[in-house]
Amino acid sequence: MSVAPARAPRDIAAPGGGGVGDSALRPDGVLKVRGEFAYSSDLWIDGMLWGATLRSPHPRAKILSIDTSEALAHPGVWTVLTHEDVPGRKHFGVDHTWDQPVLAFDEVRHQGEPIALVAADHPETARRALEKIRIEYEVLEPLTDARRAAFDPAYPRVQPRGNVARHQPVRVGDVDAARELAEVVVSGEFQVGMQDQAFLGPESGLAIPAEDGGVDLYVATQWMHNDLEQIGPCLGLAEDKIRMTLSGVGGAFGGREDLSMQIHAAMLALRTGKPVKIVYNRYESFFGHVHRHPAQMRYEYGATKDGRIVYADVEIILDGGAYTSSTKNVVGNAASLAVGPYVIPNVRIDAYGVYTNNPPCGAMRGFGAVQACFAFESMMDRLADACGLDPVTVRQVNAAAEGSALATGQIIWAPLPMAEMLQTARELPMPAPADTGDLRDLPGGVSQTTHGEGVRRGVGYGVGLKNICFSEGYDDYSTARVRLEVIGGEPVAMVHTAAAEVGQGLVTLEAQIARTELGVRRVVIQPADNRVGDAGSSSASRQSYMTGGAVMTACQAVREGMAALAAARFGHARDDLSFTGDKVVSESAGVLGTIAELLGDAVIEETREYHHRPTTGMDPVTGRGDSHAQLALCVHRAVVDVDVDLGLVKVVELAAVQDVGRILNRVALEGQIHGGSAQGLGLAVMEEIVVENGRVRNPSFTDYLIPTILDMPPMRLEILENADPRAPYGLRGAGEPSTLSSTPAIVAAIRDATGLALTRVPVRPEHITGSS
Amino acid sequence: MTPFEYLRAGDPGEAVAAVAGRPGAAFLGGGTNLVDHMKLGVAGPDLLVDVSRLPLDRVEETAGGLRVGAAVRNSDLAAHPLVRERYPVLARALLSGASGQLRNVATTAGNLLQRTRCPYFQDVTTPCNKRVPGSGCSAIGGYTRYHAILGASEHCVATHPSDMAVAMAALDAVVVVLGPGGERRLPIGELYRLPGDAPQRDTVLEHGDLITAVELPHLPAARRSAYRKVRDRASFSFALVSVAAVLDLDGDAVRDVRLALGGVAHKPWRAARAEEALRGGPATEDAFRRAADAELAGARPLPGNEFKVAMTRGVVVAALRDLAEEGR
Repeated sequence: MSVAPARAPRDIAAPGGGGVGDSALRPDGVLKVRGEFAYSSDLWIDGMLWGATLRSPHPRAKILSIDTSEALAHPGVWTVLTHEDVPGRKHFGVDHTWDQPVLAFDEVRHQGEPIALVAADHPETARRALEKIRIEYEVLEPLTDARRAAFDPAYPRVQPRGNVARHQPVRVGDVDAARELAEVVVSGEFQVGMQDQAFLGPESGLAIPAEDGGVDLYVATQWMHNDLEQIGPCLGLAEDKIRMTLSGVGGAFGGREDLSMQIHAAMLALRTGKPVKIVYNRYESFFGHVHRHPAQMRYEYGATKDGRIVYADVEIILDGGAYTSSTKNVVGNAASLAVGPYVIPNVRIDAYGVYTNNPPCGAMRGFGAVQACFAFESMMDRLADACGLDPVTVRQVNAAAEGSALATGQIIWAPLPMAEMLQTARELPMPAPADTGDLRDLPGGVSQTTHGEGVRRGVGYGVGLKNICFSEGYDDYSTARVRLEVIGGEPVAMVHTAAAEVGQGLVTLEAQIARTELGVRRVVIQPADNRVGDAGSSSASRQSYMTGGAVMTACQAVREGMAALAAARFGHARDDLSFTGDKVVSESAGVLGTIAELLGDAVIEETREYHHRPTTGMDPVTGRGDSHAQLALCVHRAVVDVDVDLGLVKVVELAAVQDVGRILNRVALEGQIHGGSAQGLGLAVMEEIVVENGRVRNPSFTDYLIPTILDMPPMRLEILENADPRAPYGLRGAGEPSTLSSTPAIVAAIRDATGLALTRVPVRPEHITGSS
Repeated sequence: MTPFEYLRAGDPGEAVAAVAGRPGAAFLGGGTNLVDHMKLGVAGPDLLVDVSRLPLDRVEETAGGLRVGAAVRNSDLAAHPLVRERYPVLARALLSGASGQLRNVATTAGNLLQRTRCPYFQDVTTPCNKRVPGSGCSAIGGYTRYHAILGASEHCVATHPSDMAVAMAALDAVVVVLGPGGERRLPIGELYRLPGDAPQRDTVLEHGDLITAVELPHLPAARRSAYRKVRDRASFSFALVSVAAVLDLDGDAVRDVRLALGGVAHKPWRAARAEEALRGGPATEDAFRRAADAELAGARPLPGNEFKVAMTRGVVVAALRDLAEEGR
């Protein structure tokens, strides 16, 4: 075994305390605020080399030749690797897609595709050596038209198997017959731009070659075991030769679900016999991860005059870029949630994910549901206008509820009080009119742009329905190992999972669950690694549910062991015993003794897997299926001030009503809702990766704009607790729903203020001012 | 990044001599622009002559005006009481540029000489006449949202990114330059160039010329002045369009007016036609709109930035209307 690097993850002794329901403090919070938290970019081990990646400047080109000789001769360079040096399988891909070359050969299919690797004794040396790699390209015109990729058989193929990664239809009733019944018809075409996850910690990690021919990998990822399934075959190594440890993750939002530098660093380390670190800079990071799929969507709804929808005819095209990544599952989400939480008797949905030479797109918070939500909520507002109803009423009239069916036919099995949540949102107090004495309160903020003249206020609503956990038959279980023993005279619970803390607060929650279930005060969360079973991904809002469930059940098994000891020791029936505050308590006789005394030298260790209820796939023709494991709902009300002369928007307030089933940690939960809402605000009014002819035009945080504190308004939250009986503690995943509904609510508010159609996000100043 | 040497100059003369004597040398001020460009491969100086610690960091009062040292940091200049009192347009322009952290480091001269934020200029894999003369302009026919509508050429449609310089253009600031041949004074209107057929040159400065100070003239009317900027988020983003305005009223008539536009041209654009249209006339919204239209009659927007014409008119009218109301 190799020596562990400095600044590697250490056990996080969860401080303070607090069980389920308490706002326990997060152990990483103070460290992060003080700049002391060790992120994966801080990893260090003496004698390490630095890896760098040569990427294609062209979105589409044939590679005619690669000459690395000059780079190899560069002083300080240890090795230069190309596709010929990939030890095993030449392709990888999340979700078993295996279509992305580890290093490109024959052809590059997107700008920034990795072609060669360098390891050198200094990062700058490595970068200079990259410039000495000679590649001869035959540059080709990039294929960037997603609509043609979907429908035009004459369009050249980006992937040999065709340009459609997945087409998922959903069919309910008879749309053509229903068209005859409709008294009101509304339609629209909507577009969503390419959003970036904009995590702050760039892709980075450290690979250390091991004596057994394997490699120790320290990386920031969302899902170690899925990484491992790809890394092993590509390196030609058995999985037990690859030891992965999660390093400090600086945000993820889906962007770390695909591999970035993992295989590359391992290849360089195995070739040189030296530890190799790779850190992307910000520019490279924009090419180092997938983004949110841009979408083109055509919707048509028919309704009766009272606003009841009788049919929906929907086409969604998602541009997946050059490789599959998560596109197939994103299409599944977009299709199954294309009309959202509305009961519609006749539905025709066609969702397509296509290949182009645009940047690859994959997982991002909201995962296919975000794009559809912008379109269907825009449609609900159009329908309200057409029927002379207010936007809340038209949503209430068509709202799904417990017992009603989604478009897929899946019956909603848990409370879904959508109509009531809309009512709550509507009745929240309105923010005061803008204070023209403080320019920060006005559109344009400190730019002095607006002084209150020409400013109009608007109000809009949005409803988002998100599936929680993986869908369509995937068994995304989690595993937890919990060990209880006496250390330093106190009982200590050690919780070990492979689940990735990506900033969402999972380790805090794991400790809260352990305290509640075991009645002990001290909990240690061990570093996440692959010495314990799969925990699934930190995505799909699923870790509280799945890893929370695994920790809960493992703790309950440990508690059973403790109860058996206590029953024997104290002669009480097991169901008379409980454990709290490090003590053994009898319902009938009070405190019997301490857990420490009870355990003595004993160690109780249990490992449990937690599975959610099985789901089914979607029928490939009708889309029917019980495809989702859990559903969660968020309602937003947005209030905006718009300077209609200059095209500036100030989001004055965002109010959210979200049903979380059960509040496990209010502070952490509110952070999730605030953050999701902010990311939705970004998509509504500023965030877009500008892609021109396959090339990214704004790969920096100076040019790709995300909201600042001046752009994000105060929030008003109403959090409901209608338990999902199938979930641990009744909880519902809470990370994503607010990301869906905040975007359409804000755009609806801008429409309310301006009377404009606004069919594309992000809404830019020029969309408000027009061009004349 | 290419290898480079570093020299900390002891005095301005030494700095000028060091740069003038070596074609690949460059002055280093706050470094907030140049160092980025070195990392991106846009710039590759082989010698950096650090002028940020020269004794050029004072703001001094002159006869009714101010002399601003070249190394005065943007934050310090914006916060200077005399700047706030005499030239609010300048304080506001400074504060609407960049972020607090950048303003703490960026210098006055560096701000004047910052280079365009054109994405093609920054992307070394694409042709750009400003970066590599004669290679072509990728912005024409490309992504033009931040590009020029006034004074551009078939060789370059980039815009100047500075906010501060727009305010200084409205104030008729004078730039003090120390060159190998000695010191000279250059009105800011003569400092900047339009791209023409040599877009690689942003200014008329020659290699080795060092800006040592900016003089702000005596201009009592500037006490009523404003800077307004339209951008994509509330802080830390470049101007789509901006306006620096000084308005001097005589009753309801315009005695004098100074207007400069940002985000629309290769240089801070002094709106002389608009000024001429307004001078001596009524200070009404109609007149402001007509004046803006007079200036914008020469606009040649590109496919993708046509919106800037209406937006510029809107921001000019809003700024003048506000100043006129303040004056009544």
